[in-house]
Amino acid sequence: MSPPLRDRIASPLDTASDLTLVGRAADGDVRAFEVIVRRYGPLMRVYAARVLGSNDEMDDVVQEAFITVWQRLATLEDGAALKSWLMRIVSRKSIDRLRARRERADFDLHEPLAPEHQSPPRMAEAHFQTQALSRALANLPEDQRRCWTLRELAGSSYVGIADELNLPVSTVRGLLARARKTLLREMEEWR
Amino acid sequence: MTEPREPQAPFDAFDVDTPEREVAHLAGHTIEQLSDYLDRERTPADPSIDESPECQIALRSLQHLRNVQGTLLAQDVTRERERGDSWVTAILQNIDLEAHSGRDIPLAHPSPSARLVVTEGAVRGILRATGDGMENIIVGRCRLHGDVSSPSDPITIRIDAAVSAGEDIPAKAHALRVAVYAALRAHTDLTVAAVEITIRDVYLPTPAGESVDPTGIEQP
Repeated sequence: MSPPLRDRIASPLDTASDLTLVGRAADGDVRAFEVIVRRYGPLMRVYAARVLGSNDEMDDVVQEAFITVWQRLATLEDGAALKSWLMRIVSRKSIDRLRARRERADFDLHEPLAPEHQSPPRMAEAHFQTQALSRALANLPEDQRRCWTLRELAGSSYVGIADELNLPVSTVRGLLARARKTLLREMEEWR
Repeated sequence: MTEPREPQAPFDAFDVDTPEREVAHLAGHTIEQLSDYLDRERTPADPSIDESPECQIALRSLQHLRNVQGTLLAQDVTRERERGDSWVTAILQNIDLEAHSGRDIPLAHPSPSARLVVTEGAVRGILRATGDGMENIIVGRCRLHGDVSSPSDPITIRIDAAVSAGEDIPAKAHALRVAVYAALRAHTDLTVAAVEITIRDVYLPTPAGESVDPTGIEQP
């Protein structure tokens, strides 16, 4: 095991633009790659956990995504578009994982999803509401949750989601509408 | 116009299984259209939405949902940032460090039976390190143009760089060029015809903390 990477010395790379970091990492600079991992990895982890409905496979999915990123960095034409490119890659890896999971157990599409995003209870209303939303998201049917996550967390277009999930755009619209209404209805109950 | 609803009664438009009630309750609109309207920041203004009390209730709820999901996402990302970074270590241990080594560049050696090479990736590493040894400039992508396999063929080196805001850009580029020539002379046998430096970016000299928008979702 290599030593933990915490307590690193601050480097000018930490504040470098995505463009600069992508250029360096595509040339094989591991330090620049590490800055990219730290900058966007947390968002990608949150995203993967939401799509998968649990934290169980989040580490694997994000690791697979970053291995692909490292191999393909040189193909990214516009280094400034790094974030959306990363989100597309982690989307694809998450969806692949869901498909594999379904092939293993296609009899159980609605496996119970324990909300694993837990932290000590607090009284604040905002906290109550985010926890309630977290549970409501975990309870959405998988296809709705995938559409909602791609739309709201990854900022994908309807057409982009349809491509990603191999579904007609009309189906994506329908799934998103149902997801939104379910969340809105639940939210009414929080008040 | 519908009857004013009971404060505690569910809002009919949010009923998942009755799309016809949704349209009837939202002045002919759907939740999806209202959501798109929010995405467009309510422009161009649509009076049939803006003047419908039911649409306004639905828009307020949609906006509230967005606020809560923005807060949730920010909390999740903060928690992930504060987590230990064994996951970062795991990623860095699993990438293929040879993936970007590029072409082999021969180095002269007194023994005719020895074949010494340095990789293109290593030369780019020398170029980056040269920039890292200087204040207020960061070397980005580097390219070696030309046939690097024969040391006598002149090659052109193209370097993208970022300079700290407020720096004298031509002076910085000149200093980098001088340092790059010296480094390549010291470490390689390359014949360098030109070093072209493009300053593609200006960055803030002081660490400004995370300049990343973790949510991508607008906060009100």
